[in-house]
Amino acid sequence: MRINFKNILLIISLIVFLVFLPVMIKSEYLINLSLMFFLYVTLAESWNLLGGFTGQISLGHSAFFGMGALITRFIWLGKIPILLALVGGGISSALLAGMVGVPCLRMRSAYFPIGTLALALIAEITVGNILPVPGSLSREYILEYDIYSRYYLALSVAVFTVLVIYLVVYSRTGMAIIAIREDEGAAAALGVKTFGYKVLSLMISSFLAGMGGGIFAYQYVSYYYNSPFELSWAFLPTLTTFIGGLGTIVGPIVGSMCFLALSEIFAISLGEVHVLIFGFTFILIVLFLPGGLISIAKQSRKRINIRGKKLFKHV
Amino acid sequence: MGQTLIYGILNGALYGIIALGIALVFGVMRYLNIAHGSLIILGAYGSLILFRLGIDPFASIPVLMIILFLIGTILFKSFFSHFIGFSEGNKIKNSLLIAFGLMLVIDNLATLIWTGDERCITPSYSGISFEVFNVRIPVIGLAGGLLALILIFILHLFFTLTYFGKSVRAVSQDHEAASLMGVDINLTYLISFAISVSLASIPSVLIGLQAFSPTVGIRWFNKGVIVVMLAGLGNIYGVFTAGLFLGILEAISVYFFGAPYREVTGLAVFVLVLILFPQGLFGRKGG
Repeated sequence: MRINFKNILLIISLIVFLVFLPVMIKSEYLINLSLMFFLYVTLAESWNLLGGFTGQISLGHSAFFGMGALITRFIWLGKIPILLALVGGGISSALLAGMVGVPCLRMRSAYFPIGTLALALIAEITVGNILPVPGSLSREYILEYDIYSRYYLALSVAVFTVLVIYLVVYSRTGMAIIAIREDEGAAAALGVKTFGYKVLSLMISSFLAGMGGGIFAYQYVSYYYNSPFELSWAFLPTLTTFIGGLGTIVGPIVGSMCFLALSEIFAISLGEVHVLIFGFTFILIVLFLPGGLISIAKQSRKRINIRGKKLFKHV
Repeated sequence: MGQTLIYGILNGALYGIIALGIALVFGVMRYLNIAHGSLIILGAYGSLILFRLGIDPFASIPVLMIILFLIGTILFKSFFSHFIGFSEGNKIKNSLLIAFGLMLVIDNLATLIWTGDERCITPSYSGISFEVFNVRIPVIGLAGGLLALILIFILHLFFTLTYFGKSVRAVSQDHEAASLMGVDINLTYLISFAISVSLASIPSVLIGLQAFSPTVGIRWFNKGVIVVMLAGLGNIYGVFTAGLFLGILEAISVYFFGAPYREVTGLAVFVLVLILFPQGLFGRKGG
């Protein structure tokens, strides 16, 4: 995405619209839906830094999401402001990534998905065994529960995530990690410290995922401690990013939007029809449309441009 | 302790059979089929349907084998044949992604058709066990172990005696050289994949006799992939040995840490092995 006047205006007006949305429309359903959307965007964008830009497909993102949720919840319930708790959750996720994710990066890169999947399962089972009861908020916390503060916090975390990803990707680090994705051997031969950059990308990605987990912990009154560790939280960002557009900044946002729309359409049906449809679309996209849905928009715009020029010639 | 070991060995045999299916496609074509576990669960539902029609679970294995062979052929033709010529790393990555999507499709389709409830096939002999030297041996587990041994014997004969088995081994060693010697690579890949899927029928029935629900496929796949990585590539006996090793290891860990951490043990060993011994514990390099 290029920085030009039109794009900046578009982004600012979108953010302003989202800021005033709860004021304009007093629908709790819509606010909850947007909250979910911000959470998905945070998760998918953070996954995209590692999977899309660095080329390390992780199937264990739920471990970092869950870790953030767990730690944020405990810090927050310890009477510490939620903002600090969120940062604490993010840092704990990054530390977890440093401890267990870095050894995974040492594996041959083809085994990275399976290694991270194993880690996510270990985390889910272990947390489920240590904390088998659901954690609920106490009375005073429930009394001051307010959906609007959740909405704005989730919105700011999502915007923060996109901003961080943007700054990282369009920096020297971004060039290095994209070089690693394209050809790791060649990047190393040109003097890029590939392992160091992969670790950096993993840690930033987990930090952001941990903050997303913090939003989850802040939003829900009661949940099983291992539910943010469930594998579906690892599969979700993989699906939405691939379908929206791998390695682009707009892609995960588009993917999350489609996913949320489908899941609302099929909300009343038994089972998860939207995951079924998304799974099938995912296969087709991996096979035939590696650029994701974003690339369709780009192509059609190009086609319109060409047609426009042709018309112009005829005139 | 003896009892724990027996259960470990019988479970290990099951892990070994699951791993054989995964190892076949991974060894020959470097495809990592995450959906293998889901295909096993699909087979378990098939076996349940046949059981309700009055067919014994063990008698349903050949039927399931044929059905799964056809499913494997269709899956390969439609999804997995597009990246045969890719480099090794890309083949693993692409096949993994496709299989990941496939896994979601199969799991959710199964939930839609059969609901998320836990099912179990219960023939008259399901709870029977007999006692030898103070150790109880369940009949079904024993049958599973015997089936595993028979399967390995048949596979061994297949790979060493038949032309097609030899071509599979040749392709797994060096697919370019094999194709220069006149081996039809596409056909070899197709048949290997289909055989791998049809091998899922035996664990299908054995898992069907325990308990299953639509989403447990990935957990069984994990057991299999742990065994494959422990075993290294290119040796079906190594796969079976590693299966027994994992089964016994889990049994011992249950003895010391309690049942909830059974799965964690295997996974932790798996991560350690991937980091420390990328070639596997019992593996030979290459071939």
